[in-house]
Amino acid sequence: MTSPNGLICFTNCLLPSEDGSLVEKDLWIDERRGVILDSQRTFFVRKERPDRIIDLRGNILSPGLIDIQINGAYGFDFSVYDGDDEAYREGMKTVALKIVETGVTSLVPTIVTQEKSLYPKILNLLRPFSLLKSANLLGWHAEGPFIQMAKRGAHTPPFIIPAPDCFKSFENVYGAENLAVTEDWVMEGDQVGVRIITAAPEIEGVMDTVTELTNRGVVFSIGHSIATTDIATSAVIHGARLITHLFNAMPQLHHRDPSIIGLIGASPYLSSAFSPIPSVPASPASPISRSGSVRLQHGGKATSEAFDDHETPPQTPIVARQNIISTESIAQKLSHGKSTWPEFHLEKGHVTDMAFERPFYELIVDGIHSHPNSVRLAYGTYPEGCILITDAMKILDPHLKDGVHEWRDGKKFVKEGDKLYLEGTDTLAGSVVTLDKCVRNFSRFTGCSLGEAIKCATYNPAKCLGIENRKGTLRPGADADLVVLDRKGNVVSTWVKGKEVWTKNGSSVVA
Amino acid sequence: MRLIIRDDPASVGDYIANYISKRINDFAPTAEKPFVLGLPTGSSPIPTYKALIRLVKEGKLSFKHVVTFNMDEYVHLPRDHPESYHTFMFREFFSHIDIPPNQVNILNGNAKDLIAECNAYEQRIKDYGGIELFLGGIGEDGHIAFNEPGSSLVSRTRIKTLAYDTILANARFFNNDIAAVPRMALTVGVGTVLDSREVVVVVTGQRKALALSKAIEEGVNHLWTLSALQQHPWALIVVDEDATAELHVKTVKYFKSIERVQDEVERMHAELRAKGVPESDHNVGSME
Repeated sequence: MTSPNGLICFTNCLLPSEDGSLVEKDLWIDERRGVILDSQRTFFVRKERPDRIIDLRGNILSPGLIDIQINGAYGFDFSVYDGDDEAYREGMKTVALKIVETGVTSLVPTIVTQEKSLYPKILNLLRPFSLLKSANLLGWHAEGPFIQMAKRGAHTPPFIIPAPDCFKSFENVYGAENLAVTEDWVMEGDQVGVRIITAAPEIEGVMDTVTELTNRGVVFSIGHSIATTDIATSAVIHGARLITHLFNAMPQLHHRDPSIIGLIGASPYLSSAFSPIPSVPASPASPISRSGSVRLQHGGKATSEAFDDHETPPQTPIVARQNIISTESIAQKLSHGKSTWPEFHLEKGHVTDMAFERPFYELIVDGIHSHPNSVRLAYGTYPEGCILITDAMKILDPHLKDGVHEWRDGKKFVKEGDKLYLEGTDTLAGSVVTLDKCVRNFSRFTGCSLGEAIKCATYNPAKCLGIENRKGTLRPGADADLVVLDRKGNVVSTWVKGKEVWTKNGSSVVA
Repeated sequence: MRLIIRDDPASVGDYIANYISKRINDFAPTAEKPFVLGLPTGSSPIPTYKALIRLVKEGKLSFKHVVTFNMDEYVHLPRDHPESYHTFMFREFFSHIDIPPNQVNILNGNAKDLIAECNAYEQRIKDYGGIELFLGGIGEDGHIAFNEPGSSLVSRTRIKTLAYDTILANARFFNNDIAAVPRMALTVGVGTVLDSREVVVVVTGQRKALALSKAIEEGVNHLWTLSALQQHPWALIVVDEDATAELHVKTVKYFKSIERVQDEVERMHAELRAKGVPESDHNVGSME
């Protein structure tokens, strides 16, 4: 059903605002242009009001959810390319068309570490893409290959490499044309699809590439890394603005060297004046391992790419050398600074300005990859940076029944709710949680309001990607990508570019 | 003049909304013969707007054939500014009802030629055959629209400098920054309001009590511009108990007694109309 004048008014609904509150307000959209309207301007300047009014009966009308890390779904794996472009495109279509039932209207397909020659081909296929009535594929997120062997998760060891020639190495792997600078790369058409690159800043050549990537509009994300606090902080100063699946595939929080996790609590006291970063070379042949401190599990057991197969005990940060430097530099600052430090501020609740912004961080909120306490701990520390992701495997499909299912290479897996085990083992086989469920889980785990949880799957990821004028918000001019949620956070219907693309009961909402 | 006293602002809003709804429905407006309604901004009319919105949503009232004229607008405040009266009217009322946008008239405080804008506004009201019912509120100093104390009681739509009292009162809407409050406004004149066939004024809260007393218990005085209403043949003031604090007990009792009689008069009016007696032959507003 369309509106005679092409305008739709959603009424009797709660709108999530960018501060996380839910406001009772109408929303006007233009279904022909597929955008959200400035209703007051439309009324007074265009002298029009919507012919079609949709009563949402007190439900929540949220910007469509954005998943910036998803490996596959509905049987298709973005990382698997067998030479058939058409088959790959079909897979992209399947995911884009089906994922809207989970409230997701935009996603960034994520490629795990590949054999080098596959990158240019896959990344070329993964340019921004959408169909009528499908979610938007926004481009790609390359996770690897410049990652830390000791934190490789399920990434294939022989393909993990350093970047001795810095940006040239990145171009060699991903293809120079896939990293080209474009003026308005935000979306539309055949544009270049690079969005996010996850790499470990301690790997040779990576730190020196962060700035170049950032200048090109790429989000550099720290992940699969053992970076010390100093290295991680330096990466952020160079431009890194995201942490890949916080808590997973990184050193656990150590109070003397809080490493990557510590960034979300970065102290204003230490946010500037760092000593030069010593580079820590790593090569696939010699993963950093101090005897006894790295325990190798049997390869191939844990298949969630986010899980470690190398455990690093929390009490022994792997690169202890930097730890000493960092402690010294703090001591130096304490003894030097007296005369030059400004006076303390007297404003309760205000935190001294930082020299850099803390990075956004991704959380997999399936209750498995991070304990609810850890989720709350991170959120409480830095709510503005929190981004919910699924990091889902290709078996993500909310219709999949619990029980034994075929997987690949003759293996089978057992699905038990959001948990997936390899048959006959207790090894977790990755994430299959949907993003709408992550939102509900997040609200339960942290105790935050539904509006605040929604913000972590809409505004925050959009802001991280710098596309908040087009996606993830209800700003006038933004795409009318919307999801209607009931008060329990369940998806009632999904809209893309002003068109209803999915409803719970399978039929169109009648107004 | 009639004075209706209700317990609280919500009851006042319900009363006025039902009253206006009845007037519009009795008028049976059409595209050719729309009902022309004057509207105010401010906190006092909000309960009335809420009640009117409810009536529209319940299907008991429609603004399809209603033309509105707003009383005033700040000068040089962007139309999209959160405190502009355009924003107020859209947020509190127009977005929730079914009025077609081209039937809404609000003075343009950003017009290049402000005087021409005011004159055109008066002309537009005339073109519609005048205002059927003007709903208004008052300030603590008794001003109606932006007709501050000292305004001519026969004034027309024009540019007005805001009184210091009004600027102070409005500062709370501009982060308590007095410098940010607009100094000027375009407003319909007292004469414009008095020209409408009926005037309904909402007065609620203790802070308006003195103004109410000055307006109805003393003589017509340009320092309390609402008092000009004493010269209007068909005026209704609806107040809450708090707003009566400065009135004489005698005044309150008198108006309460005539409210009962009014019901009978209105019944008579309806009967006369049912018999087809022309409007001009009876005057329901004149109680005395």
